[in-house]
Amino acid sequence: MLKVVLRRLLVMPFLLLGIVTATFLLAQFTKGNPLISIIGARNLDNAEIVAAAKARWGLDGSVPERYATYVWNLAHGDLGTSFRTKQPVLTDLAQRLPATLELVICAMFVGAVGGIVLAIVSAEFKDSFADHLARLVALLGSCLPVFWLGLIALFLFTVQTKLLPGPGRLDIRAVAPPTVTGFMLVDTLLAGNWSAFVDALRHLILPALVLGWSVMGIITRMVRASMLDVLGQDYITMARAKGAGRLRVLIHHALANALIPALTILGFTFAYLITGSVLVETIFSWPGIGSYAVDAARSLDYPAITGVTIIGGLGFLLANLLTDIAYAAADPRMREAG
Amino acid sequence: MARLSRLALSTRVAASLLGAVFFMPMAAQKARAADGPLVVARAMDINSLDPARGYCDTCQIYLSAVYATLLTLAADNQTIIPAVAKSWEVSPDVTTFTFHLDPAATFSDGSPVTAADVKWSLERLKNVKGGPSYLMDSLKSVEAKDDKTVVITTSTPNSEFLGILAAPYTGIINSKVASANGANAKADAATSDTSDTWFLANSAGAGPFVLEKYTADDQLRLARNEKYWGKKPAISGVVLKQTADAVTQAQMLQSGAADIAMQVDPDTAKTVSAPDATFKAVPSFNYVYAAISPAAKGAPVPLTKEVREAIALALDYQGLIDFTVGGEGKEQSSAIPNGYPGTKDLPAPVFNVEKAKELLAKAGHPDGFAMELEFPAMNVYGVDLSLLAQKVQQDLGKVGIKLSLKPVPFTVWASDIDNPGVPFALGFFAPDYFGSAQYVQYFGMMPDMPWAKRAGVGKVPGLDGKEQLAMYQKALAATDAAGQEKAYHDLAMKMIDDKIILPLVSPNLVLAYRNDVSGVRYSACCNLPLGEIEKK
Repeated sequence: MLKVVLRRLLVMPFLLLGIVTATFLLAQFTKGNPLISIIGARNLDNAEIVAAAKARWGLDGSVPERYATYVWNLAHGDLGTSFRTKQPVLTDLAQRLPATLELVICAMFVGAVGGIVLAIVSAEFKDSFADHLARLVALLGSCLPVFWLGLIALFLFTVQTKLLPGPGRLDIRAVAPPTVTGFMLVDTLLAGNWSAFVDALRHLILPALVLGWSVMGIITRMVRASMLDVLGQDYITMARAKGAGRLRVLIHHALANALIPALTILGFTFAYLITGSVLVETIFSWPGIGSYAVDAARSLDYPAITGVTIIGGLGFLLANLLTDIAYAAADPRMREAG
Repeated sequence: MARLSRLALSTRVAASLLGAVFFMPMAAQKARAADGPLVVARAMDINSLDPARGYCDTCQIYLSAVYATLLTLAADNQTIIPAVAKSWEVSPDVTTFTFHLDPAATFSDGSPVTAADVKWSLERLKNVKGGPSYLMDSLKSVEAKDDKTVVITTSTPNSEFLGILAAPYTGIINSKVASANGANAKADAATSDTSDTWFLANSAGAGPFVLEKYTADDQLRLARNEKYWGKKPAISGVVLKQTADAVTQAQMLQSGAADIAMQVDPDTAKTVSAPDATFKAVPSFNYVYAAISPAAKGAPVPLTKEVREAIALALDYQGLIDFTVGGEGKEQSSAIPNGYPGTKDLPAPVFNVEKAKELLAKAGHPDGFAMELEFPAMNVYGVDLSLLAQKVQQDLGKVGIKLSLKPVPFTVWASDIDNPGVPFALGFFAPDYFGSAQYVQYFGMMPDMPWAKRAGVGKVPGLDGKEQLAMYQKALAATDAAGQEKAYHDLAMKMIDDKIILPLVSPNLVLAYRNDVSGVRYSACCNLPLGEIEKK
């Protein structure tokens, strides 16, 4: 297994270079003018301003020149400066990635726990009303558009009942605690600010529920199928015959084995959510990487586009690797096959 | 019994936690809201916080709050009034402008605003070659005659220069502070000025607020400038909160999370029930237009004057307003928006399908023709351009012009209209300052102007460019308001007659704010003057 991990880690930089090259070239050859976010559309006819902007932002060289410069800078840890925010892309990503990760981790928790519970109920009470209800709940999460769900949730919980706060990571009027990790829950605790921690937690509830519900369907489906398969195995019948309790059979004997095939989907769902949370981020004004990616693409902000792609690519590669490791840890046959 | 006690205890702990999560912060929030900063929800489009480089609607709000200008625009959106300059004189040939600075004017660090700062700021605006640098195109020289007197000379007569100096991009910067942090006003400032990043975290102006913190794509926090030399703002600070969605903005206003929502479109405003908030529609100077470019490649038939006129006559202007903004807008006659110099008593656009058909037949197209309409796929000023395009398609279909719609990203549209050119397109425009010259410079049929190049001035019959150029020079040389009004009126009539730019909808702007907030108004130069807002 160790060999596999090392081999994967060695190949990773080359895969990333491939991703960088493809993204760089696609962005360069995409129709449109990136100067709009720098000087505005009205100045595109002003030769003097256009020339100055091109020189300043390194857009005056040929594509191979720009590619060589980009890769050289990248090798030195410089992802360039965003045309739009005028900040180093690395700074932009460092500001946004923790926000997205915090949201995605909570959403994954909601999605995974909710999905697994629904799958257990669904499998144990197959073809009953509980099964249909559990599947309907999971299906609705997958089918309902997240932007609609987000708006409805905001309307119900912030406008009508005022039970939960509106968009953002913290009360807008409050001053955020000093950034240490970028994770608001952690930073508020580190600052010893309990009320800010509670506030941050309250702000997380709605977006995490909406995003988590959206991935609950696929998790339920996978785990349910796996559970049904496992529940039909002889060793489960044996455990039941030996008098093991219903809950013990379900959790200890069945779920532990049924989760192995679901690990793959959990890994990829997590990676998908990192870049796929854009609609929830937009509705809940969550300053994460999803909305950053969309804004970068809209304005043809080349350095930001490539930066986000690197992070997304890295996320997928790491999720893949971690899934394999988790798979091996859960299934001894995989370790031996390593 | 023991089990029951543990259960009861766990339930109580869980209930307390839930109670803390759901209810504790509500009381704290109410307490904070009363004396906390003003929260403004808007989709921010900031591309820089440097007055010489920032060029966006949110930049106008920020810069006018933080950087005082020599002059400013009164609440009537027409009169230029003193700001840092307490008085001024203009030479008879409209090329020399002398300003006397208010001795009370100070920067946020307490140092006085000097003529040297004004000279440095305006020269830097020109030399940095950023988005708003074009405003200084006619600047010839700036002389600091003494500490409190500035003499500005323009290379050609410029009757609109005072209006330009009220634009927030011309804000006066504390030159000592900015120079110490990488800024400069030299001729090569476009490449040698490295203060971009510094301006994202600091401010050095003489406005009513100072920059507290900016987090891109999240929020922009301003604090009251405690050393402000004018009337101190009534609010302790402002938070501009990035909120991309109009419905979310309205919900924030309803729940009290925001005090002002800036981009609630008229349709959304009608659906919101909020007794604690005011939704007031006011006319804006923003508009959406259709542009016909006879010289662009790909025109299916020659887009002659008759064809252009037929297109203009076939459009149901009031219908377009009803369809896109539910009637919350107004018709606009020329590319110069209503209320700007030269627009008084301009003829309203005419809708006449029969006449349009007649003209098409006369032009040799009795059965019409097929053409493409390219437009940015976006919602702008509350107008969904896709909806607008559909209505245009419907209208032109009635005279036999079969439009196929081509929505594209804005970056593609902006590139396409120049290369290879787009025969028929939709676009939009909002003013940078109060003055009609900016519209003539962009839409006028004069040599080297953007839409003139696209339309083919000098190549297309009837568009020689000379007549409008002469009219424009006359307008710039006008020495009084009446002369200026007359000159721009003549120009506007000529632009209407060209039928190159067809203004379609000038949507109303919805001012949406909580009832305990006052002083909210729309400004042609500064968008939302934050310094005037009060909160009970």
